[in-house]
Amino acid sequence: MSISNLLSQYGDRYVQALLTTWKLTAFSFTAAFALGVFITVLRVCPIRPLRSAGDFYVQIFRNIPGAALLILLVYALPYLKILFSYGACVLIATSLIPSAFCSEHLMSGMNTIAPGQIEAARALGLTFFQMIRRIVIPQALRSTVLPMTNLLVATMLTTSLASQVPLRPMELTGLVSYINTRAAGGVAAFAISAALYCATALLIGLAGSLIDKKVRILR
Amino acid sequence: MTQTDSPIIELRHVDKHYGPLHVLRDISLRVHQGEVVVIVGPSGSGKSTLCRTINRLETIDSGEILIDGVALPEEGKKLAAVRSQVGMVFQSFNLFAHMSILDNMTLAPVDVLKRDKKEARAEAMRLLERVGVADQAHKVPAQLSGGQQQRAAIARALAMRPKAMLFDEPTSALDPEMIEEVLQVISELATDGMTMLIVTHEMGFARNVADRIIFMDEGRIVEESDPEAFFLHPQSERARSFLSAVQRH
Amino acid sequence: MKPTSIREMLYEPPGPAARKRISILTWLAMAALVVLTALVIRQFAVTGQLDARYWSFFARATTWRFLGEGLLTTLEAAVTGAGIAFALGFLMMRGKLRKNRPLRFISAALIEFTRGVPTLLFIYFFFLVVPQTGWKLSAFWKITLPCAISACGVVAEALRSGVNAVPRGQTEAALSLGLTDTRLFYKVVFPQAIRFVIPSLIAELVIVLKDTTFAYIVTCADLMQNAKVLISNYDAMLSVYLVVAVLYILINYLLNRLSDRLAAGSGRTGAGRSAV
Repeated sequence: MSISNLLSQYGDRYVQALLTTWKLTAFSFTAAFALGVFITVLRVCPIRPLRSAGDFYVQIFRNIPGAALLILLVYALPYLKILFSYGACVLIATSLIPSAFCSEHLMSGMNTIAPGQIEAARALGLTFFQMIRRIVIPQALRSTVLPMTNLLVATMLTTSLASQVPLRPMELTGLVSYINTRAAGGVAAFAISAALYCATALLIGLAGSLIDKKVRILR
Repeated sequence: MTQTDSPIIELRHVDKHYGPLHVLRDISLRVHQGEVVVIVGPSGSGKSTLCRTINRLETIDSGEILIDGVALPEEGKKLAAVRSQVGMVFQSFNLFAHMSILDNMTLAPVDVLKRDKKEARAEAMRLLERVGVADQAHKVPAQLSGGQQQRAAIARALAMRPKAMLFDEPTSALDPEMIEEVLQVISELATDGMTMLIVTHEMGFARNVADRIIFMDEGRIVEESDPEAFFLHPQSERARSFLSAVQRH
Repeated sequence: MKPTSIREMLYEPPGPAARKRISILTWLAMAALVVLTALVIRQFAVTGQLDARYWSFFARATTWRFLGEGLLTTLEAAVTGAGIAFALGFLMMRGKLRKNRPLRFISAALIEFTRGVPTLLFIYFFFLVVPQTGWKLSAFWKITLPCAISACGVVAEALRSGVNAVPRGQTEAALSLGLTDTRLFYKVVFPQAIRFVIPSLIAELVIVLKDTTFAYIVTCADLMQNAKVLISNYDAMLSVYLVVAVLYILINYLLNRLSDRLAAGSGRTGAGRSAV
């Protein structure tokens, strides 16, 4: 099918799918960031069991394949009498996995801070929380803008997992599968989705670069 | 100004181990108001560690440390309060990389001493003038040379109006041509009557600025005397060999 | 003597009050974790998931042999995919570093394209669209090629940063010895670039391996597929999928450890793409 045919028939579905992808991405990234911050706090706190738990969490969710996690949530958990809706399963998967990477980026961001600055803050009489708030967090966040931008793109790519379960409305990947099982959509159907993904990724990358240039710390 | 009886900084029989290493052995010393005490000695003698125990950046195993007659608290707000009264200048400057020099200066006075922001800024500018980096006030540390950064760091410590200042090898990380400008600032502080404890390798500077020289070796205070006595007539064998090795440069 | 990372430095040596607080909180945390684990195990027991019939077949060698075959296919697909990604990525990297403007543009566009599209979409392309053209591919290639294409952009960028990381002095020294440009690149620059880049490449291998789990879409007999057969045989969905997930996690964890060890050796961080 040609592109113009496709667009006239499925144009509005594409728009809806794009918005769905964006919504899934936005929600997942926000959840992943919040989780990532929480896990990072655990990993740096002075209580050893919590540190280990945080590290364990990160190892699990950065190494587990998305498909495996989704399948566990959708098909295996019901056997434990834990039932989530399809949507919830997708969101859990697309939030947990990026959260592990988010924590890794935050740890790297913290490591860009020269340890001497911590000592200087102490020597000046700042309390622990003052030091965290004024010295650690600003530098950690400002150093992770580019990795976080990449993570946002990666999260968007992960939302394609939603195509593996009957989720309505469909996102961009599921739509291609839908179109191709109904008509020989051919390369065009795939190309439109691919172009929409790419365009979003490019926009995110651009925004990220701009933000990074503004807040980057000279060292 | 008469010298008060109780010293600003006092260490009594301080001991510290790093695992099997005995880094501080039975250290006792006093620094009175207005005194400039300079600690010299070979690498690994424990002089930096000693300096850092005074504001508890390093802990001690036994002994007492008193700041202005009060025992050094071990933790919490009390410790932070005492730290705010003792300024420290580090070998690697340790300015906050994400803030301008001016913000570096006003952070602690505003957050810790609860001073008014405008006042703090005005005082900060005055101090930056005093050390000669006022024109760098709105730049970030990375844009300053090492010498400028260290002078700004000294100003940052001064902004807290400390009772005493600790200097942990303030010029060891500087390129040779910038050492003099920093030593100049420190000398002026000494002339103005600041109570100081300085750890340094700069022998000429030590001789000029110190009221008292402490020579440390292997964690012990080996010799303690006034500069002329120490440099011209060192009493101990270790001091003699240290000085001859150093003066060859 | 001095702690080197922020993680160690964040908390200073605790005083007596802090020590007590930390001690109490540590015990509480341990207790909480134990309770959590117990609750999970309890849920397993209550729903009958700890029954022998769901786990006993794991004691048989045939089970593991079967899973092993699937795992082999998975590894085959992952390594082949990574190899193809490397070759393609290398070409694109060279294209992007060339002086020819259109070539640079096309290379850059291809790199952005492969990085901006999810692997699943590529897989669907090979699964749904490619057969329409009449081109016949085995299931193995239907999963390996899309994973390779998805990864080659990241590999290209990783290689490019590796090449840029080689000190200029190397190029200058080589040129002064009379090496021509191509010779120079292959004998002097590239070997050093590779050493910087190996940790990132291993990280990308992990990503390719994770992508191969979608092989069930193209019905390729990898680890996940064989797991499904086991499940239908023994009606043991939870236990089998759990074991398989743990297997994947272990393999990827070990690969990441390898990457970290190599990164520490070469002195560069092994930070690859933060993709999933």
